[in-house]
Amino acid sequence: MLRAAVLSLAALALAPTIALAHGPTRQKVTETVEINAPADKVWATIGNFQDMSWHPAVAKLEGSGGNHANATRTLTLTSGGTIEEKLLSSDPAKMTYKYEITKVDPKVLPVNNYSSSISVKGDGGKSTVEWKGAFYRGFMNNDPPPDMNDEASKKAVEGVYRGGLDALKKKLEAGG
Amino acid sequence: MRQILHLRAVCVAAALCVAATFASVAGDSAVTEALVTNQTGNSLSVVSLADMKSVAEVAVSGSPAGIALSPDRRFAYVTAPESKELVVVDAAERRVVKRFKVGEGPLGVAAHPTNGRVYVADWYTHTISVVDPQAGQVTATIAVGESPSGLAVTPDGRLFLSADRDSDSISIIDAATNTRLKSVAVGKRPFGVTIDAKGERAYTANVASDDVSIVDIATGVVVGTVPVGHRPYAVALARGRAFITNQYSSTVSVFDLSSLKVVATIDVGDHPEGIEADPAGTNIYVACWFDNVLMRIDVDTLSVVGQAAVGDGPRAFGAFLR
Repeated sequence: MLRAAVLSLAALALAPTIALAHGPTRQKVTETVEINAPADKVWATIGNFQDMSWHPAVAKLEGSGGNHANATRTLTLTSGGTIEEKLLSSDPAKMTYKYEITKVDPKVLPVNNYSSSISVKGDGGKSTVEWKGAFYRGFMNNDPPPDMNDEASKKAVEGVYRGGLDALKKKLEAGG
Repeated sequence: MRQILHLRAVCVAAALCVAATFASVAGDSAVTEALVTNQTGNSLSVVSLADMKSVAEVAVSGSPAGIALSPDRRFAYVTAPESKELVVVDAAERRVVKRFKVGEGPLGVAAHPTNGRVYVADWYTHTISVVDPQAGQVTATIAVGESPSGLAVTPDGRLFLSADRDSDSISIIDAATNTRLKSVAVGKRPFGVTIDAKGERAYTANVASDDVSIVDIATGVVVGTVPVGHRPYAVALARGRAFITNQYSSTVSVFDLSSLKVVATIDVGDHPEGIEADPAGTNIYVACWFDNVLMRIDVDTLSVVGQAAVGDGPRAFGAFLR
Protein backbone atom coordinates (compact mmCIF):
# COMPACT_ATOMS: atom_id res chain seq x y z
CA MET A 1 0.00 0.00 0.00
CA LEU A 2 2.65 2.44 1.11
CA ARG A 3 4.90 1.25 -1.66
CA ALA A 4 2.19 1.79 -4.24
CA ALA A 5 1.62 5.32 -2.94
CA VAL A 6 5.32 6.06 -3.10
CA LEU A 7 5.51 4.69 -6.63
CA SER A 8 2.56 6.74 -7.83
CA LEU A 9 4.09 9.84 -6.27
CA ALA A 10 7.33 9.08 -8.06
CA ALA A 11 5.43 8.66 -11.32
CA LEU A 12 3.77 12.03 -10.77
CA ALA A 13 7.12 13.65 -10.13
CA LEU A 14 8.57 12.16 -13.31
CA ALA A 15 5.62 13.01 -15.53
CA PRO A 16 6.41 15.95 -17.75
CA THR A 17 4.65 19.11 -16.77
CA ILE A 18 1.86 19.69 -19.21
CA ALA A 19 1.73 23.37 -19.89
CA LEU A 20 -1.23 24.67 -21.82
CA ALA A 21 -0.48 28.25 -22.61
CA HIS A 22 -2.71 29.85 -25.21
CA GLY A 23 -1.36 31.34 -28.43
CA PRO A 24 0.54 34.59 -28.20
CA THR A 25 -1.69 36.66 -30.47
CA ARG A 26 -5.30 37.37 -29.61
CA GLN A 27 -7.55 37.61 -32.64
CA LYS A 28 -10.52 39.90 -33.20
CA VAL A 29 -13.55 39.62 -35.41
CA THR A 30 -16.22 42.25 -36.03
CA GLU A 31 -19.21 41.49 -38.24
CA THR A 32 -22.17 43.80 -38.84
CA VAL A 33 -25.48 43.69 -40.65
CA GLU A 34 -27.91 46.43 -41.61
CA ILE A 35 -31.53 45.51 -41.07
CA ASN A 36 -34.55 47.28 -42.42
CA ALA A 37 -36.34 47.26 -39.04
CA PRO A 38 -36.37 49.57 -36.02
CA ALA A 39 -33.77 48.97 -33.31
CA ASP A 40 -36.22 48.07 -30.55
CA LYS A 41 -37.68 45.33 -32.71
CA VAL A 42 -34.22 43.95 -33.46
CA TRP A 43 -33.23 44.13 -29.79
CA ALA A 44 -36.45 42.36 -28.81
CA THR A 45 -35.30 39.47 -31.00
CA ILE A 46 -31.66 39.18 -29.94
CA GLY A 47 -31.42 40.99 -26.57
CA ASN A 48 -32.50 38.07 -24.41
CA PHE A 49 -29.41 36.10 -23.39
CA GLN A 50 -31.63 33.07 -22.90
CA ASP A 51 -32.94 33.01 -26.46
CA MET A 52 -30.73 32.16 -29.43
CA SER A 53 -33.54 30.81 -31.59
CA TRP A 54 -32.68 33.49 -34.16
CA HIS A 55 -29.38 31.76 -34.94
CA PRO A 56 -29.76 28.86 -37.39
CA ALA A 57 -26.74 26.97 -36.00
CA VAL A 58 -28.26 26.77 -32.50
CA ALA A 59 -30.62 23.83 -32.01
CA LYS A 60 -31.25 24.18 -28.28
CA LEU A 61 -30.53 26.55 -25.40
CA GLU A 62 -30.56 25.64 -21.73
CA GLY A 63 -29.74 28.41 -19.29
CA SER A 64 -30.23 29.99 -15.91
CA GLY A 65 -29.93 33.41 -14.35
CA GLY A 66 -31.98 35.26 -16.93
CA ASN A 67 -30.24 38.41 -18.10
CA HIS A 68 -28.35 39.11 -14.89
CA ALA A 69 -24.56 39.23 -14.83
CA ASN A 70 -23.11 35.71 -14.50
CA ALA A 71 -26.21 34.12 -16.04
CA THR A 72 -25.27 31.00 -17.97
CA ARG A 73 -26.45 29.19 -21.07
CA THR A 74 -25.47 26.01 -22.85
CA LEU A 75 -25.97 26.06 -26.60
CA THR A 76 -26.43 22.79 -28.41
CA LEU A 77 -25.57 23.27 -32.03
CA THR A 78 -27.31 21.72 -35.00
CA SER A 79 -23.98 20.01 -35.68
CA GLY A 80 -24.23 18.36 -32.26
CA GLY A 81 -21.51 20.10 -30.23
CA THR A 82 -22.14 22.29 -27.21
CA ILE A 83 -20.87 25.69 -26.11
CA GLU A 84 -21.15 26.92 -22.51
CA GLU A 85 -21.38 30.66 -22.07
CA LYS A 86 -21.64 33.22 -19.27
CA LEU A 87 -23.20 36.67 -19.42
CA LEU A 88 -20.75 39.37 -18.32
CA SER A 89 -23.11 42.32 -18.53
CA SER A 90 -26.35 43.34 -20.18
CA ASP A 91 -27.41 46.91 -20.86
CA PRO A 92 -30.89 47.01 -22.43
CA ALA A 93 -30.86 50.84 -22.50
CA LYS A 94 -27.81 50.74 -24.75
CA MET A 95 -29.07 47.59 -26.46
CA THR A 96 -25.92 45.56 -25.87
CA TYR A 97 -24.73 42.55 -23.93
CA LYS A 98 -21.32 41.01 -23.31
CA TYR A 99 -20.58 37.37 -22.69
CA GLU A 100 -17.76 34.85 -22.63
CA ILE A 101 -17.35 31.19 -23.51
CA THR A 102 -16.62 29.18 -20.40
CA LYS A 103 -16.30 25.79 -22.09
CA VAL A 104 -16.03 24.62 -25.66
CA ASP A 105 -14.29 21.75 -27.41
CA PRO A 106 -11.89 23.25 -29.97
CA LYS A 107 -13.31 20.76 -32.46
CA VAL A 108 -16.68 22.51 -32.11
CA LEU A 109 -15.24 26.03 -32.23
CA PRO A 110 -11.44 26.38 -32.35
CA VAL A 111 -11.07 29.19 -29.81
CA ASN A 112 -9.72 29.82 -26.31
CA ASN A 113 -10.41 32.70 -23.92
CA TYR A 114 -13.28 33.90 -26.07
CA SER A 115 -15.24 37.03 -25.13
CA SER A 116 -17.85 38.78 -27.21
CA SER A 117 -20.42 41.53 -27.38
CA ILE A 118 -23.49 42.05 -29.52
CA SER A 119 -25.20 45.39 -29.90
CA VAL A 120 -27.90 47.17 -31.88
CA LYS A 121 -27.80 50.76 -33.08
CA GLY A 122 -30.84 52.42 -34.57
CA ASP A 123 -31.17 54.98 -37.34
CA GLY A 124 -34.83 55.78 -37.86
CA GLY A 125 -36.56 52.67 -39.18
CA LYS A 126 -33.21 50.94 -39.80
CA SER A 127 -30.74 49.22 -37.52
CA THR A 128 -27.18 48.00 -37.49
CA VAL A 129 -26.27 44.95 -35.48
CA GLU A 130 -22.61 44.56 -34.53
CA TRP A 131 -21.16 41.31 -33.20
CA LYS A 132 -17.61 41.46 -31.90
CA GLY A 133 -15.39 38.68 -30.61
CA ALA A 134 -11.93 38.48 -29.03
CA PHE A 135 -10.23 35.12 -28.64
CA TYR A 136 -7.07 33.07 -28.96
CA ARG A 137 -6.73 30.29 -31.50
CA GLY A 138 -7.95 26.78 -30.73
CA PHE A 139 -4.52 25.25 -30.41
CA MET A 140 -2.81 25.68 -27.07
CA ASN A 141 0.98 26.02 -27.17
CA ASN A 142 3.32 26.97 -29.98
CA ASP A 143 3.36 26.08 -33.67
CA PRO A 144 -0.30 25.19 -34.30
CA PRO A 145 -1.56 22.80 -36.99
CA PRO A 146 -3.32 24.57 -39.91
CA ASP A 147 -6.85 23.68 -38.77
CA MET A 148 -6.32 25.32 -35.37
CA ASN A 149 -4.12 28.30 -36.18
CA ASP A 150 -5.05 31.98 -35.90
CA GLU A 151 -6.56 32.13 -39.38
CA ALA A 152 -8.68 29.01 -38.89
CA SER A 153 -10.02 30.35 -35.60
CA LYS A 154 -10.91 33.69 -37.13
CA LYS A 155 -12.62 32.03 -40.06
CA ALA A 156 -14.71 29.84 -37.76
CA VAL A 157 -15.90 32.79 -35.67
CA GLU A 158 -16.61 34.87 -38.76
CA GLY A 159 -18.75 31.99 -39.99
CA VAL A 160 -20.77 31.87 -36.77
CA TYR A 161 -21.38 35.64 -36.79
CA ARG A 162 -22.15 35.88 -40.50
CA GLY A 163 -24.55 32.93 -40.36
CA GLY A 164 -26.40 34.44 -37.41
CA LEU A 165 -26.57 38.01 -38.67
CA ASP A 166 -27.66 37.12 -42.18
CA ALA A 167 -30.41 34.85 -40.85
CA LEU A 168 -31.52 37.59 -38.44
CA LYS A 169 -31.83 40.08 -41.28
CA LYS A 170 -33.80 37.65 -43.38
CA LYS A 171 -36.15 36.81 -40.52
CA LEU A 172 -36.84 40.42 -39.51
CA GLU A 173 -37.17 41.81 -43.00
CA ALA A 174 -39.59 39.04 -43.87
CA GLY A 175 -41.72 40.43 -41.06
CA GLY A 176 -41.02 37.51 -38.72
CA MET B 1 7.91 61.62 -6.41
CA ARG B 2 7.44 64.44 -3.98
CA GLN B 3 10.52 63.25 -2.13
CA ILE B 4 12.57 63.27 -5.30
CA LEU B 5 11.40 66.76 -6.17
CA HIS B 6 12.26 67.86 -2.67
CA LEU B 7 15.68 66.27 -2.97
CA ARG B 8 16.26 68.09 -6.23
CA ALA B 9 15.33 71.41 -4.73
CA VAL B 10 17.80 70.84 -1.94
CA CYS B 11 20.40 69.72 -4.46
CA VAL B 12 20.01 72.81 -6.60
CA ALA B 13 20.34 74.98 -3.53
CA ALA B 14 23.42 73.18 -2.36
CA ALA B 15 24.74 72.53 -5.86
CA LEU B 16 26.72 69.56 -4.73
CA CYS B 17 24.80 66.40 -5.21
CA VAL B 18 25.00 65.73 -8.90
CA ALA B 19 25.54 62.04 -8.31
CA ALA B 20 22.43 61.71 -6.20
CA THR B 21 20.19 63.17 -8.84
CA PHE B 22 21.90 61.52 -11.78
CA ALA B 23 20.36 58.13 -11.15
CA SER B 24 16.85 59.49 -11.32
CA VAL B 25 17.26 61.79 -14.31
CA ALA B 26 16.02 59.27 -16.87
CA GLY B 27 13.05 58.39 -14.72
CA ASP B 28 12.03 61.97 -14.04
CA SER B 29 12.38 63.79 -17.32
CA ALA B 30 9.12 64.42 -19.07
CA VAL B 31 7.93 61.94 -21.64
CA THR B 32 6.87 63.14 -25.09
CA GLU B 33 5.90 60.00 -26.96
CA ALA B 34 4.15 56.69 -26.55
CA LEU B 35 5.42 53.68 -28.49
CA VAL B 36 2.51 51.32 -28.94
CA THR B 37 2.98 47.74 -30.14
CA ASN B 38 0.19 46.83 -32.57
CA GLN B 39 0.10 43.07 -32.44
CA THR B 40 -2.33 42.22 -35.23
CA GLY B 41 -1.21 45.29 -37.19
CA ASN B 42 2.46 44.25 -37.05
CA SER B 43 3.72 47.72 -36.28
CA LEU B 44 4.80 50.19 -33.63
CA SER B 45 2.76 53.41 -33.48
CA VAL B 46 4.56 56.52 -32.31
CA VAL B 47 2.08 58.83 -30.58
CA SER B 48 2.95 62.45 -29.81
CA LEU B 49 1.64 63.04 -26.29
CA ALA B 50 1.44 66.82 -26.69
CA ASP B 51 -1.47 66.55 -29.11
CA MET B 52 -2.34 62.83 -28.84
CA LYS B 53 -1.70 62.13 -32.51
CA SER B 54 0.06 59.24 -34.20
CA VAL B 55 3.09 60.76 -35.89
CA ALA B 56 4.74 57.62 -37.26
CA GLU B 57 4.19 53.91 -37.68
CA VAL B 58 7.19 51.61 -37.81
CA ALA B 59 6.60 48.21 -39.43
CA VAL B 60 7.50 45.36 -37.05
CA SER B 61 6.60 41.87 -38.23
CA GLY B 62 6.13 38.91 -35.88
CA SER B 63 3.07 40.15 -33.95
CA PRO B 64 4.80 42.57 -31.58
CA ALA B 65 3.49 42.55 -28.01
CA GLY B 66 5.91 43.36 -25.19
CA ILE B 67 7.99 46.52 -25.01
CA ALA B 68 10.75 47.96 -22.87
CA LEU B 69 12.96 51.00 -23.31
CA SER B 70 16.68 51.47 -22.89
CA PRO B 71 17.50 53.58 -19.80
CA ASP B 72 18.14 56.61 -22.03
CA ARG B 73 14.84 55.86 -23.85
CA ARG B 74 16.54 55.93 -27.22
CA PHE B 75 15.86 52.28 -28.06
CA ALA B 76 12.74 50.20 -27.75
CA TYR B 77 13.02 46.46 -27.18
CA VAL B 78 9.99 44.78 -28.66
CA THR B 79 9.09 41.10 -28.41
CA ALA B 80 7.78 39.40 -31.55
CA PRO B 81 6.32 36.12 -30.31
CA GLU B 82 5.24 34.82 -33.71
CA SER B 83 8.75 35.11 -35.15
CA LYS B 84 10.33 34.28 -31.76
CA GLU B 85 12.53 37.35 -31.84
CA LEU B 86 13.50 40.43 -29.93
CA VAL B 87 13.34 43.52 -32.14
CA VAL B 88 15.44 46.59 -31.37
CA VAL B 89 13.88 49.82 -32.63
CA ASP B 90 15.72 53.11 -32.74
CA ALA B 91 12.87 55.24 -31.47
CA ALA B 92 14.51 58.51 -32.43
CA GLU B 93 15.14 57.43 -36.01
CA ARG B 94 11.91 55.40 -36.21
CA ARG B 95 13.52 52.29 -37.62
CA VAL B 96 14.27 48.69 -36.74
CA VAL B 97 18.01 48.38 -36.19
CA LYS B 98 18.27 44.74 -35.17
CA ARG B 99 16.26 41.61 -34.61
CA PHE B 100 17.35 38.20 -33.36
CA LYS B 101 15.95 34.92 -32.02
CA VAL B 102 15.13 34.69 -28.32
CA GLY B 103 13.52 31.46 -27.10
CA GLU B 104 10.23 29.99 -28.32
CA GLY B 105 7.64 32.50 -27.18
CA PRO B 106 9.09 35.84 -26.14
CA LEU B 107 6.42 38.00 -24.49
CA GLY B 108 7.22 40.20 -21.49
CA VAL B 109 10.37 42.29 -21.62
CA ALA B 110 12.17 44.67 -19.25
CA ALA B 111 15.44 46.59 -19.38
CA HIS B 112 17.91 46.77 -16.52
CA PRO B 113 18.59 50.38 -15.43
CA THR B 114 22.40 50.14 -15.48
CA ASN B 115 23.93 46.85 -16.64
CA GLY B 116 22.81 47.05 -20.27
CA ARG B 117 20.89 43.78 -20.10
CA VAL B 118 17.36 43.15 -21.30
CA TYR B 119 15.22 40.39 -19.79
CA VAL B 120 12.77 38.47 -21.94
CA ALA B 121 10.08 36.17 -20.51
CA ASP B 122 9.37 33.07 -22.55
CA TRP B 123 5.74 32.01 -22.55
CA TYR B 124 6.46 28.47 -23.82
CA THR B 125 9.84 27.44 -22.40
CA HIS B 126 9.13 28.84 -18.92
CA THR B 127 12.40 30.71 -18.72
CA ILE B 128 13.75 34.23 -18.61
CA SER B 129 16.42 35.00 -21.18
CA VAL B 130 19.08 37.50 -20.23
CA VAL B 131 19.91 39.34 -23.42
CA ASP B 132 22.76 41.56 -24.53
CA PRO B 133 20.87 43.68 -27.06
CA GLN B 134 23.98 45.23 -28.58
CA ALA B 135 25.54 41.86 -29.34
CA GLY B 136 22.14 40.39 -30.20
CA GLN B 137 22.79 37.42 -27.94
CA VAL B 138 21.21 35.53 -25.09
CA THR B 139 23.84 35.47 -22.34
CA ALA B 140 21.96 33.40 -19.74
CA THR B 141 18.71 31.54 -19.28
CA ILE B 142 16.89 31.28 -15.95
CA ALA B 143 14.22 28.66 -15.27
CA VAL B 144 11.13 30.16 -13.59
CA GLY B 145 7.47 29.11 -13.20
CA GLU B 146 5.08 28.23 -16.01
CA SER B 147 4.46 30.75 -18.79
CA PRO B 148 6.17 33.83 -17.41
CA SER B 149 4.58 36.94 -18.87
CA GLY B 150 5.20 40.31 -17.18
CA LEU B 151 8.64 41.39 -16.00
CA ALA B 152 9.80 44.26 -13.80
CA VAL B 153 13.18 45.37 -12.46
CA THR B 154 13.62 47.12 -9.11
CA PRO B 155 14.73 50.76 -9.52
CA ASP B 156 18.10 49.96 -7.89
CA GLY B 157 18.64 47.16 -10.40
CA ARG B 158 19.29 44.57 -7.71
CA LEU B 159 16.33 42.31 -8.45
CA PHE B 160 13.89 41.52 -11.19
CA LEU B 161 10.53 39.81 -11.02
CA SER B 162 8.56 37.66 -13.40
CA ALA B 163 4.82 37.00 -13.23
CA ASP B 164 4.68 33.23 -13.79
CA ARG B 165 1.17 33.11 -15.13
CA ASP B 166 0.37 29.42 -15.15
CA SER B 167 2.05 28.75 -11.80
CA ASP B 168 -0.02 31.43 -10.04
CA SER B 169 3.18 32.92 -8.64
CA ILE B 170 5.96 35.41 -9.17
CA SER B 171 9.69 34.72 -9.24
CA ILE B 172 12.18 37.04 -7.56
CA ILE B 173 15.55 36.92 -9.29
CA ASP B 174 18.94 38.34 -8.31
CA ALA B 175 20.14 40.46 -11.22
CA ALA B 176 23.83 40.21 -10.28
CA THR B 177 23.93 36.42 -10.28
CA ASN B 178 20.84 35.60 -12.40
CA THR B 179 19.69 33.33 -9.60
CA ARG B 180 16.05 32.73 -8.79
CA LEU B 181 15.87 33.59 -5.09
CA LYS B 182 12.28 32.68 -4.42
CA SER B 183 8.81 32.09 -5.75
CA VAL B 184 5.81 33.79 -4.16
CA ALA B 185 2.26 32.48 -4.59
CA VAL B 186 -0.14 35.23 -5.70
CA GLY B 187 -3.66 35.26 -7.22
CA LYS B 188 -4.67 33.17 -10.22
CA ARG B 189 -2.90 33.73 -13.53
CA PRO B 190 -0.81 36.83 -12.81
CA PHE B 191 0.02 38.60 -16.07
CA GLY B 192 1.43 42.10 -15.59
CA VAL B 193 3.75 42.94 -12.69
CA THR B 194 4.71 46.46 -11.61
CA ILE B 195 7.17 47.57 -8.92
CA ASP B 196 6.77 50.83 -6.98
CA ALA B 197 9.30 53.67 -7.15
CA LYS B 198 10.94 52.66 -3.89
CA GLY B 199 11.36 49.08 -5.03
CA GLU B 200 9.44 47.83 -2.01
CA ARG B 201 6.22 46.39 -3.34
CA ALA B 202 5.16 44.55 -6.47
CA TYR B 203 1.63 44.54 -7.86
CA THR B 204 0.38 41.70 -10.05
CA ALA B 205 -2.77 41.78 -12.18
CA ASN B 206 -4.33 38.34 -11.79
CA VAL B 207 -6.31 37.50 -14.92
CA ALA B 208 -8.29 34.54 -13.58
CA SER B 209 -9.04 35.69 -10.01
CA ASP B 210 -9.99 39.25 -11.00
CA ASP B 211 -7.76 40.84 -8.39
CA VAL B 212 -4.39 42.43 -7.72
CA SER B 213 -1.85 40.85 -5.36
CA ILE B 214 0.52 43.14 -3.48
CA VAL B 215 3.84 41.54 -2.61
CA ASP B 216 6.41 42.89 -0.15
CA ILE B 217 9.53 42.18 -2.20
CA ALA B 218 12.04 41.96 0.69
CA THR B 219 10.07 39.36 2.62
CA GLY B 220 8.28 37.71 -0.29
CA VAL B 221 4.96 37.99 1.51
CA VAL B 222 1.61 38.93 -0.02
CA VAL B 223 0.51 41.92 2.05
CA GLY B 224 -2.76 42.64 0.29
CA THR B 225 -5.24 41.51 -2.34
CA VAL B 226 -7.62 43.95 -4.01
CA PRO B 227 -10.61 42.84 -6.11
CA VAL B 228 -10.78 44.71 -9.44
CA GLY B 229 -12.68 44.25 -12.72
CA HIS B 230 -12.89 41.25 -15.02
CA ARG B 231 -9.67 39.87 -16.51
CA PRO B 232 -7.16 42.42 -15.22
CA TYR B 233 -4.09 42.75 -17.42
CA ALA B 234 -1.55 45.18 -15.97
CA VAL B 235 -0.99 47.80 -13.27
CA ALA B 236 0.32 51.39 -13.30
CA LEU B 237 1.14 53.43 -10.19
CA ALA B 238 0.74 57.18 -9.76
CA ARG B 239 0.32 59.49 -6.78
CA GLY B 240 -0.39 56.83 -4.23
CA ARG B 241 -2.86 54.97 -6.40
CA ALA B 242 -2.87 51.86 -8.56
CA PHE B 243 -4.55 51.85 -11.97
CA ILE B 244 -5.52 48.49 -13.45
CA THR B 245 -6.73 47.65 -16.95
CA ASN B 246 -9.66 45.22 -16.91
CA GLN B 247 -9.84 43.59 -20.34
CA TYR B 248 -13.35 42.14 -20.28
CA SER B 249 -14.91 44.99 -18.28
CA SER B 250 -13.48 47.69 -20.57
CA THR B 251 -12.59 49.69 -17.46
CA VAL B 252 -9.64 50.92 -15.43
CA SER B 253 -9.94 50.25 -11.68
CA VAL B 254 -8.27 52.73 -9.35
CA PHE B 255 -7.38 51.86 -5.78
CA ASP B 256 -5.63 53.70 -2.95
CA LEU B 257 -2.25 52.14 -2.11
CA SER B 258 -2.67 52.78 1.64
CA SER B 259 -6.28 51.87 2.29
CA LEU B 260 -6.41 49.33 -0.59
CA LYS B 261 -9.92 50.61 -1.30
CA VAL B 262 -11.15 50.99 -4.86
CA VAL B 263 -11.81 54.71 -5.33
CA ALA B 264 -12.95 54.77 -8.96
CA THR B 265 -13.76 52.61 -11.96
CA ILE B 266 -13.23 54.44 -15.22
CA ASP B 267 -14.87 53.42 -18.50
CA VAL B 268 -12.32 53.15 -21.28
CA GLY B 269 -12.20 51.46 -24.69
CA ASP B 270 -12.79 47.78 -25.39
CA HIS B 271 -10.13 45.39 -24.04
CA PRO B 272 -7.78 47.82 -22.30
CA GLU B 273 -4.33 46.27 -21.92
CA GLY B 274 -0.94 48.01 -21.63
CA ILE B 275 -0.99 50.82 -19.08
CA GLU B 276 1.70 53.22 -17.87
CA ALA B 277 1.88 56.40 -15.83
CA ASP B 278 4.03 59.30 -16.96
CA PRO B 279 6.97 59.99 -14.62
CA ALA B 280 5.25 62.99 -13.01
CA GLY B 281 2.18 60.90 -12.23
CA THR B 282 -0.04 63.39 -14.06
CA ASN B 283 -1.48 61.13 -16.73
CA ILE B 284 -2.05 57.44 -17.31
CA TYR B 285 -1.93 56.00 -20.81
CA VAL B 286 -3.95 52.93 -21.76
CA ALA B 287 -3.82 50.90 -24.98
CA CYS B 288 -7.30 49.65 -25.90
CA TRP B 289 -6.74 46.50 -27.92
CA PHE B 290 -10.11 46.10 -29.60
CA ASP B 291 -10.74 49.76 -30.36
CA ASN B 292 -7.25 50.56 -31.68
CA VAL B 293 -6.79 53.65 -29.53
CA LEU B 294 -4.40 54.92 -26.89
CA MET B 295 -6.34 56.74 -24.17
CA ARG B 296 -5.10 59.34 -21.69
CA ILE B 297 -6.54 59.42 -18.17
CA ASP B 298 -6.10 62.51 -16.00
CA VAL B 299 -4.93 61.34 -12.59
CA ASP B 300 -6.59 64.27 -10.77
CA THR B 301 -10.02 64.02 -12.34
CA LEU B 302 -9.88 60.26 -12.96
CA SER B 303 -11.43 60.73 -16.37
CA VAL B 304 -10.45 60.07 -19.97
CA VAL B 305 -9.15 63.35 -21.38
CA GLY B 306 -7.75 62.32 -24.75
CA GLN B 307 -7.23 59.57 -27.22
CA ALA B 308 -5.14 58.78 -30.28
CA ALA B 309 -5.82 56.33 -33.08
CA VAL B 310 -3.10 53.68 -33.33
CA GLY B 311 -2.59 50.51 -35.39
CA ASP B 312 -4.56 47.28 -35.15
CA GLY B 313 -4.56 45.37 -31.86
CA PRO B 314 -2.46 47.62 -29.58
CA ARG B 315 -1.04 45.78 -26.56
CA ALA B 316 1.81 47.99 -25.31
CA PHE B 317 2.69 45.39 -22.71
CA GLY B 318 5.49 46.96 -20.68
CA ALA B 319 7.16 50.37 -20.55
CA PHE B 320 6.16 52.37 -23.61
CA LEU B 321 6.44 56.08 -22.70
CA ARG B 322 9.56 57.96 -23.77
